[in-house]
Amino acid sequence: MVTDSRDARALRTAGRLNEPRPARVEASFDGTPRHVNHVGVALVREEWRVLDRWWTEEPVVRRYFEVVLETGENTVVFHDGAGGGWFSQRGA
Amino acid sequence: MIACLSIPGFELKAALRARPSLSLRPAALAPEAGREPLLGPVTAAAEAAGVRPRMRLGEALATCPQLVLVDPDPAAAELAWEEIVRSLEDAGFSVDAAGLGIAYFETRGVERLYGGLEPALKRALAAAGTHWDARIGAAGRRFAALAAASVAKPGQLLVVRDDEVGRFLAPLPLTLLPLERQRYDELEALGVRKLGQLAGLPGGAVAERLGPDGRRAWSLARGGASARVRGRRPPAELVESLEFPEAIGNELTLRRALGAVVDTALARPERRDRFVRKVALGARLVHTGSGGGGSWRRTLTLREPSADGDRIRIALAPRLAELPAPVLELRLELVELTEPSGRQLELLAAGAEDRSRLSEGLRQVRASTGSGSVCTVVEVAPWSRIPETRALFVPRDD
Repeated sequence: MVTDSRDARALRTAGRLNEPRPARVEASFDGTPRHVNHVGVALVREEWRVLDRWWTEEPVVRRYFEVVLETGENTVVFHDGAGGGWFSQRGA
Repeated sequence: MIACLSIPGFELKAALRARPSLSLRPAALAPEAGREPLLGPVTAAAEAAGVRPRMRLGEALATCPQLVLVDPDPAAAELAWEEIVRSLEDAGFSVDAAGLGIAYFETRGVERLYGGLEPALKRALAAAGTHWDARIGAAGRRFAALAAASVAKPGQLLVVRDDEVGRFLAPLPLTLLPLERQRYDELEALGVRKLGQLAGLPGGAVAERLGPDGRRAWSLARGGASARVRGRRPPAELVESLEFPEAIGNELTLRRALGAVVDTALARPERRDRFVRKVALGARLVHTGSGGGGSWRRTLTLREPSADGDRIRIALAPRLAELPAPVLELRLELVELTEPSGRQLELLAAGAEDRSRLSEGLRQVRASTGSGSVCTVVEVAPWSRIPETRALFVPRDD
C-alpha cells in the first residue's frame, strides 16, 4: 500500500517524570514512617509539607519524609492528605 | 469556466461536528474571546427564531433565549477545510482556497477528463462530501461564480453563461459585494439595493462618491474583471503534537513545551535540508463554562526561512500569551518549507558525525524496543513544588 506522502502527522503523548508510586508504609503514632516496603527506617533525615493547588478541585496536600532505611538506602515517601495513602517519589 | 465551491457557515458546521445534535437546535458560533461580541454563522433553527449572523450577542439572546453558543474551533475548521481542498485536488482540480468554505477552480483542464462541465462539477461536489451542504456556481468570471454559488441550494450546481451574467447579477443584493457596512448603508440611502442598480450607474460617478472600494464594487457588479484562477501549492504539512497529562495554563511551561515540539518537528526526516517559511501553532483547549472546549490556532510567516529552533521559538513564543484557556494539546505545523537549495549550507556541519552516530544508535534502540521507547526529558516547570510536574518525557521517533 502506498501511503500519502502529504500525511506526516505525529501525536506524542508526554508522560510525567517522577510520578509517585504507591508504597507500603507503616507509620508511628505521630505519622512518621517506621517501615517502608517492609524495611525498617533507621533515620528520618528531613520532613516537609507541600500544600498546593488548593484553589482547584484536585488540591495537593502532602507530608514528605526523607528517610534512610536499615539497608542504607535513601528514599523519599509522602502521605497524601487529600486522597489518602503513602507513596514513594524520586526527584523530590 | 471558473467554478466556486461554497459552504456557507463552514466554521459553525465544523464546530458542530463534535456536537451534531445542536445542528437542529437554535445555535450560533460564539464570538471569539477579546473580539467584538458579534455572532458568527447561525443554524437554520436559530435563523427561524429571528437570529441573524453578525447580530450583537445581547440582542440575539434577547430574541432567542434558548440560543446555544458554540465555541469556535478554528483548528478543527482548518483541518476539515484542508481535507476538502485535498479531496478536490485529488480529483484533479487545481484549487485556490480563498478562505474557509470558499474555493475557486478552473474547469477547463478537467472537463475532458470527466466528459463535460456538469460531470466535472458533480465530481467536485462529490469530493466535498455530502455532510457539508456544499454548492457550486460556475461562470466565466470569479465574482459571477461566487454570486452563483451563493444563490445555489445545497448540493446544487448553477452555471451562468457569459451572455446571461448581466441578467443574473442584476436582481442580487449588494451584500454579495466586499464592502464595509457603512458603504452598504450609504448606497441604500441613495436607493441602490441591487447589483443591477449599481452596475447601471456611471463608473466615474461611483468612484467619485465611494472611492476606490466603490469603483471595485461597481466593476464586480458588472461581472468583475476576467482573471485566471491560480491553484495553490499544496502545503508541506508536517505536524507535531504534544499532549499534556493535565491542562497547562502557565506561559513559561508552555514556552518550554513549545521548544520541545519545535525541536522534534525540525528533527523530522521529511524536513531534512529544507527551511521553514510558514508555521502554524495550534492548541486544543480545556473545556470552558459554555461547554465547547474548542481550539486555538495562529499562523506565522517567518521573515526569513529558517531551520533554527531558537529563531522559530522566539517568533512563536509571544503568540502563547494570546491563548484564551489552559491547553490540553499543543500542535505545531510546518506549513511551508523552502526547497533545499533555498539557502547556502555549510560544507561540513559541526558535530555532524557525532549526531549521526547518536541518531543511528537511537534508531537501533527503537528498532529493538518499539516506537515511543526513546524519550527526551523536557523541563517544563522546574520551579514547581510538586516533583512530578517539573519535567515531562516526550517520545522521539525521529
